[in-house]
Amino acid sequence: MLTLLLRCVASLLHAGLMLGLAPLLIGLVGKFRARLLGRRGPVIWQPYRDLWKLIHKIPLIPDTATELYKIWPFVGFAAIAAVALLVPGFALNLVSARYSDFITIIGLFALSRAAVMLAGLETGFGFGAAGAGRDALFSIFSEAALLVVVLVFGLIAGDPTVDGTATEFGFGQIGVSVSLGFALVAMLAVAVTETGRIPVDNPAGHLELAMVHEAMLLEYSGRYLALFQYAAALRLMIWFSLIATLFFPFGMAQAGNILSWPLGLLSWLAKLGVLTVALGLFEISTAKMRVFRVPEFLGVALLLGLLSAIFLFVAGRLNG
Amino acid sequence: MVGLPGRGMHLGIDPLSALFLCLLAPQVLAAAIAAEGKSVAFWVFVLGMVLTLLAADSFALILGFELMSAASWLLVLRGDRRPALLYAGIALFSGACLIPAVFLPAGGLAFALLLLGAGAKAGLAPLHSWLPRAHPAPSAGVSAVMSGGMVSVALYVIIRYGFIVFGNAVQPWWGTALMAAGAASVLIGALRAMLEVELKTVLACSTVEHMGLIAVGLGVGLRARALDDPALASLALQAALLCALAHALFKPLLFLGAGAVRHATGTTSLDWLGGLMRGMPKMGVLMLAGAAGMAALPLGPGFAPEFLLLHAVIAAAGLGGVMGWIGFTALLAVLGLGAALALAASVRMIGFGFLGRPRSLHAAAAEEADKFTLIGMGILAMGCVPLALTPGLVLRAIAPVISQLVPGALPQPLAYAPLPLAVLMAGLAAVAFFALRRFGARGEREVAAWNGGFGKPPIWLPFGDPATQPIASGFAEPVRRVLGSALLGPAGLDPGERFILAPLSRLRVRLTRLAEWVRRATIRQRLAFVFAVLVMFLLALGLGQDG
Repeated sequence: MLTLLLRCVASLLHAGLMLGLAPLLIGLVGKFRARLLGRRGPVIWQPYRDLWKLIHKIPLIPDTATELYKIWPFVGFAAIAAVALLVPGFALNLVSARYSDFITIIGLFALSRAAVMLAGLETGFGFGAAGAGRDALFSIFSEAALLVVVLVFGLIAGDPTVDGTATEFGFGQIGVSVSLGFALVAMLAVAVTETGRIPVDNPAGHLELAMVHEAMLLEYSGRYLALFQYAAALRLMIWFSLIATLFFPFGMAQAGNILSWPLGLLSWLAKLGVLTVALGLFEISTAKMRVFRVPEFLGVALLLGLLSAIFLFVAGRLNG
Repeated sequence: MVGLPGRGMHLGIDPLSALFLCLLAPQVLAAAIAAEGKSVAFWVFVLGMVLTLLAADSFALILGFELMSAASWLLVLRGDRRPALLYAGIALFSGACLIPAVFLPAGGLAFALLLLGAGAKAGLAPLHSWLPRAHPAPSAGVSAVMSGGMVSVALYVIIRYGFIVFGNAVQPWWGTALMAAGAASVLIGALRAMLEVELKTVLACSTVEHMGLIAVGLGVGLRARALDDPALASLALQAALLCALAHALFKPLLFLGAGAVRHATGTTSLDWLGGLMRGMPKMGVLMLAGAAGMAALPLGPGFAPEFLLLHAVIAAAGLGGVMGWIGFTALLAVLGLGAALALAASVRMIGFGFLGRPRSLHAAAAEEADKFTLIGMGILAMGCVPLALTPGLVLRAIAPVISQLVPGALPQPLAYAPLPLAVLMAGLAAVAFFALRRFGARGEREVAAWNGGFGKPPIWLPFGDPATQPIASGFAEPVRRVLGSALLGPAGLDPGERFILAPLSRLRVRLTRLAEWVRRATIRQRLAFVFAVLVMFLLALGLGQDG
């Protein structure tokens, strides 16, 4: 009973941290990148100010939009926020652990992507449709690569949920293997694509022709734009947490054991920090790709996923 | 009494045929209400399908199957003459393969013929290229039942013979063949659904994709059954049957909608539609529900089958040797590509057909579909609700079918729980909504779209400059450049057409030329020909006697 109560409290804490810290993460990445480029950069809570500013503006609705214009931001946000509650952060074995199936999470990502794409097509102007078409192209390869990586996890851990896989990786006898290394690289490529970072997309870009994610939101303003931007911030948070949970599960707390929480929280924040630094360094060291180079980039990720599965088989043969 | 002499004809019903009758009922009802209630050929078509499902012997099955083919040919012919010939050819081919298959003793040859015959009818690659041509041809109600019902009946024949009649002779390679055909159909169908411009052709290509998904599920199940793994076989069959059920609801819904779009605007080309959500809001929302199923999005009817199928493939990859391991990994990658393509195709259908600005005056002037179409689509949408929100209950209802198909079946509980997920998402959306109301600015203002600072259109162009609009082909262009040229060749032709239909048509031209040459031959040429044959014959006779 007490365990269940603690798990509930941990889940609430997790929800609060995920939803609350997501804009901070964006701010940190932006600040770190600016510093690396020799600029001072905005303060780290600038994203909160931007969101606050946006929700206090009166939205301008394009006259060519249909009634569904106001629905898409909520669909996109709800799907991403649901994923944020499913993916473990500082602790394993949350209340939502049973439902954190990989396929469900991929499906929810797809739902949120569909909402953003439809939002881009909503007003019937060029930039939104161009962005949506490019996003469709990227998603085809990233989804295939992600599924293959999930297959590797399923074969190693024997559990379809993120939580179970992380438990197995953290506390089971898995060890470091070549296939997990390949899977990590493939997953990072998918993460960069899904969160729209350089080299696939530039979230700070101002040239409409080169945009992907932002181009679909060009006709949105006010609170609806705030919802989309908040969802984008959450997406980065989710991918960071997902990679931290799966590949670096050490130090994670157990939701039922309150004594393990401080260490879990600290290690989670440290992992987020490390990933922020890594993303910043990666972003300043590469340039944005041409749109038609991205499928090759993701094709490599898909190949690495396949290689990872094959290495897994070979390793299994050698050991057994 | 009809039937084989001395044997008669037997009808019967068991869980499998009951399931497929349930699958057939809503779409026939919807199509009858919407459009086709008074057409005799339509009811003969339905009768053929019901007879196939109720058949308890091979003769009745073939009779029903051919009745279905003949009646649907008539209906296709009534819609459009051009694909009707192709359709008749495929129907003859599938009959010619099926009749020996069902009378042969159980074995590899019988199954191969069965797969060719019923697979051609179901639109499985490589014999799928007739489907995107023939299914859009008849009127919407018939297209709906052809795409939702007829192809499922063909799959029923595969299930009935593969799992039950030939059940004791089942070999692992049967499942592998089914999976390979299914994977090819998923890839080609999904890609073409993304690239086609006609709404009904898009839907027909998506039918090819879904038949592929079902075939993959059946293949995994058949292979697992041959390798004596009832747990995996049950999981894969659950996926396949649930997918068939979902597809039989949302695809007729979308086809009825496409018919209404054609009625309202005179075209189904996505490049000429747009903004239909304003003129036909009720139908637009129903189409949105169907598109969610087609895209296999969570909380839609198509997600639970996709979920089960991916889990079945992941579970199957762990068994078998290195070829199986690599094969299932590649299969999973193909399913991932297919799922993302299906999502993009659905987004494109809704985004270019129903959202945005009208691309023609006809689209701007579209009016709501008539009451009967809306009722028919509403029935199908209601049918989607249990599949979308309580797939666990549906799976429990089809458990008898699973245990009929797999001896010692172990139906698995479903790990995907849409109801809690729906509640969670609704809660989150509500929190966001009320938080924005409480803390944010109220009200909103309608203005001309910003469009990157492009000037406001003049007053006589109420929907802006038509030349500044994106079109559906443009949306698909990145995919066409990257995947289309790799898979479909530079001309963008379907491999099924390039490698099967085109050589056949060249062969026909050559044979026609030969026949024409024989017909035009002079009397001397003919005499010479007869003389040559005579000499050859005598020579052969002489040589034979010597030897």
